[in-house]
Order: sequence, then C-alpha cells, then structure tokens
Amino acid sequence: MGLLLITRFTLLEAIRRRLFLTVLILSLLIIAAFTALLSKLISVSTPQDGLSPRLFLLGVGVVVTVLVIWMLYLLCSALTIVFTANMISGEVDAGTFAVIVPKPLRRAEIVLGKWLGYALIICLYTALMFFAFLAVIYWQTGYWPTQAPYALALLELVMLALLGITTLCSTLVPTIVTGAIALMLFIGAPTASIVQFIVRFVRPDALQSVQNITTLINLIIPTDALWHGASFYLLPPITDFAVLGLGSQSFDTPFTSQQQIAPALLIWVILYCIALPVLAALRFQRRDL
Amino acid sequence: MAQKDREPAIEVENLRKVYHNLVAVDDVSFVMYRGEAFGFLGPNGAGKSTVVKMLTGLVLPTSGTARLLGQPVSNLEMRRRIGYLPELPNFHRWLRAKEFLEFHGRLYGMRGMELEKRIREVLALVGLEGREKQKLGTFSKGMMQRIGLAQAILNRPDLVLLDELVSGLDPVGQRDMRDLLRQLKSEGMSIFLNSHQLADVEALCDRVAIINEGRILKVGAPRLLFDESPVFEVRVNPISKELLHRLGAIALAVRQDDDESDRLYVEVQHDEQAADIAEIVHACGARLYGLAPHDRSLEQLFLRTIDASRQRVPAESRQS
Repeated sequence: MGLLLITRFTLLEAIRRRLFLTVLILSLLIIAAFTALLSKLISVSTPQDGLSPRLFLLGVGVVVTVLVIWMLYLLCSALTIVFTANMISGEVDAGTFAVIVPKPLRRAEIVLGKWLGYALIICLYTALMFFAFLAVIYWQTGYWPTQAPYALALLELVMLALLGITTLCSTLVPTIVTGAIALMLFIGAPTASIVQFIVRFVRPDALQSVQNITTLINLIIPTDALWHGASFYLLPPITDFAVLGLGSQSFDTPFTSQQQIAPALLIWVILYCIALPVLAALRFQRRDL
Repeated sequence: MAQKDREPAIEVENLRKVYHNLVAVDDVSFVMYRGEAFGFLGPNGAGKSTVVKMLTGLVLPTSGTARLLGQPVSNLEMRRRIGYLPELPNFHRWLRAKEFLEFHGRLYGMRGMELEKRIREVLALVGLEGREKQKLGTFSKGMMQRIGLAQAILNRPDLVLLDELVSGLDPVGQRDMRDLLRQLKSEGMSIFLNSHQLADVEALCDRVAIINEGRILKVGAPRLLFDESPVFEVRVNPISKELLHRLGAIALAVRQDDDESDRLYVEVQHDEQAADIAEIVHACGARLYGLAPHDRSLEQLFLRTIDASRQRVPAESRQS
C-alpha cells in the first residue's frame, strides 16, 4: 500500500510542478517543427531514376524513421537522467524524507514507489512521442514499421535501464554525481560500437577481441545495444531495401543495426532493469538520513 | 501509580552511534513511561537529535536497542501509533496544506471521512484553519512548524516525538504550542520533547534527561535532579550581623539577595532545619515575613550540570 501511495505522490508531483505540462508543450512544438521540416524535405526531394514516387517516399520514410527515433532515443534518455538523478538524494538533502521514513511503510516501498512513478511517466512519454513521430511519418510518406511495437519495447528498456542506474546511484551518491555517472555511461556506451565498426574494415582479425570488449560494455551499460536492437525493428525486411532504393548495407552503421538483439543480452537487460532498483531499495534500507 | 508499574513508552538500552571516528551517542540508556512528558536537554552537538533519529528509524544505531511502545523501531504497526516532528522541518512546498495532511494521513492508513474530519480538527488545533488550500511554499517558518505538528498528531498517536517544537515560533506561537501540548498530555498522549527551550521543558515535562557529548548526565523529575542541599528563601527584617552570624553557624551557606535587601538564601543540609531558621530569626528580634524552599530554575541546573561534565572530562582523560 505504501508503495502505491508513493507512486501516486510521484505522479502528482510531476503534474503539480508543471513538469508534465512543460515537457508536453515543448514536445508538441518539436513534433510540429518536425512535421513542417519533413513536409519541406519531401517537397524538395526527387526520386531516383526508375523509382516510383511512392516507393521513393517509402524509402525516405525508412531513413527518416530511423533518424527521428534515434533523436527520440537521445531525448528520452537525457530527460530520464535529468529528471530522476535527484530521485532519492534530492529528498534526503532537502530533508523531506524526515517525516516520511518514520511513517508505517518500509524504506524499500519509498524507493520502489518512486521508481514505479517515474517509470510510468517516462514510459508513457516515450510511447506517446514514438507513435506521434511514426504517425507523422506515415502521414507524409506512407511508411509504418511493421515491427514498431518491438522497437518501442526496446526503447522502453533503454529508459528503464537508465532509470535503474539513477535510482541506484541516487541512494549512494549526491545528485550531481548520479547525473555525471549516468551521463558518462550513456555517452560512453556507443564508443564500443564505433570502434567495432572501424576495426571491421581496418583489422578484421582483431574483431573478436573488440567484440568481447563490446559485450562487456553492453553488460555494464546496455543502452547502445538496445538502441541498435530497436533500430533493427524500425527497418523493413532487407529484401525490400533494393525496391525502396536503399543499399543492402545502408543501416549497417555504428549507430544502427541490421541484426536482432541477441536473446541472451535481452534477458540480461530485463534482469538489469529489475536488479538495479532492488539493489537501490536494499541500499536505502541501511542508509542514515 | 509508581513508575515501575507504568508501561514504558520508550526504552533505550546502551544506545550508541559512531560516525567514522566520531562518537555521537555513547551508551545512552533511559526509560520514558506512558502518559508522561519527557524532556531531552543538551547543548548543541550533544547528540539529542541523533538519539531522536535513532528512535524514529532515520538513523541506524551502531549498537544498543531502542523500543517504542514495547516494539522495535522497525515495527510498522507501532509506527501507526507514533508521531514525529523533526527539527526545522522541510516539506514538499508544492503541496497544499490539506493535500499534505491527506498524504500523511494515508501513510498512517487513514481514509475517507475519518481522514477529512481529522484534518479539519488538527488544522484548527494548530491554528491553521482556513489554510487548507494554501501551498506550503507560501507558509512562514512558524506555519511550517504548525503544519508539521499537525501531521505528527494526525493519527492521534500514543507517543509523539518533537524535536525543537517551538523553533521559529514567536512568543504567542510558543505559548499556543505549550498550551496544545498540555492539552494533548491531559488526553493521555505521551510526549517526548527535545528542546533548547528550558522554560518549556520545565513547564511541561514530568521528567528530564540531560545529555552532553553523547552521554546522559542526569535523568529525573526536574525537582529531583537537584542532588544539592535544600535552599530556603527567607524574607526577614532587619538583617543584622548577629542574625547572619547565627544563621551561618547552622547553615552551609547564607547569601543576601543583590536586589532585595530583606531577602536571604540559606542553604542547609536538611529540610527540617527550616524550623531552626525560624527560631534564629525570632531569637534575633527580627520579623519573619516569609520562609519557603527556593526553586532554582532548570536552566541553572542545566548549566551547572553541563559545566560539571566538561570539567570532569579532562580528569577522566588523565585517568585513562
């Protein structure tokens, strides 16, 4: 019961402090700007020789989908870190926990209740923005990724992974340190993919050792791997690439992937998203306030 | 009812808290009984708030035990029956007063009409009626103390722990809070009062513990904490040298009041010597206008106790 009370309180705080309203207004502006820009792009683009306008538009839709959802991935990740870095440490520093902790609820309920509240807010926002962008792209180009729900699911796991990191760090270190840790892990994660991509061309024999390091990094911070997995589900089947005027390796880049995420990594991520908040709750049980 | 027959509200045994190399609370033990008001006094940094935080579960003890209403600090059912107001409380400022109390009431397990009714009652009790829709961010420091007290008594607790209740309140507010505490005590609530305001503790508390440098120095009723000789206030006229000489012969000390020329303070070994004082006054031909025990203030006791403990520390260090 205490957990749900804290969750409800967290949701109420997001609404009352105008967090939701501010982000909503800015998001609508972003979508409006994107719509205008996409419309302009389409109006100035001309199909390649031999490609029908409809197929050309679908091809544009594929490229724009990947790029804009990548932007959404960055946006939602940044918002997750910024809004949740002070989840526990902020309240401890402000002293607002001093009258809540002695109440008849377990400390774990406080941590998990706040985690759940933020998870609902972040996942709802990610989903709304995801479908809003896809709707605009579909309207303008006719392209809709048939496996969009899988892409969204992986994006949600990105946010939950980052939320787990900020939740755990927030019980251990001050807000500013939590933010620094989460940001550096998030920004540092793609390094492995970039290096791996380069090594593939310049030193293929060294690829295995680089992949081992990439795997280790993905275990520590799985956000980049999840994004790569999500990008796969935004694409049409490879067999349709040529029809759409796209090269067969167009999306085999350091920032996108034409391969599914490994099932073992997916299981690890799910456990990661569960374990970090649980560890945070356990840590908070013993913390002096 | 003798104290030994009364149920304990708080039982603390060998409580200790060490932060790295700093001993904040050192082997503290005391018992507070149901229905009493218990004062906790000490200078800044004495460990008072650390003890209170260990009683409320905000801080985990290094060693020792604490029980509230017969239960360990972690017991959730016990927590439904206690209230707590921290020193200089800070609350979520975006909440309105009624929302704040609704949230805390729900944490206590209160619901519906019972909660609504109780919120109206406590807001009236603390002098904040009509402020239900006002945001806490617009509250003054005194109002924050009041709303803090409101959430502490919202659940009609059996035991309420108050850390510097009147901090930030003006004299009228302090008087209102004292009156409220007297009312709550008369209704059977046990009150643990951590305070610098010696006048409040002296006026309200049945028993007092004095703490310094993490250790309890004295525990007892304010009057019984005096392990010093009784002092009588004697109003007599005239005060002759013979009178002073004869009183000096039977008393431990005789002191004349600086401001009132007909007042003496006579320190004796036993209360029964009051009769001897009266006899001497009459024998010296003076008129006796008043003879009564002199109530020294808690402040004087407190300051003497703290000073004595500080002087003992160097001696104890030498011994170790």
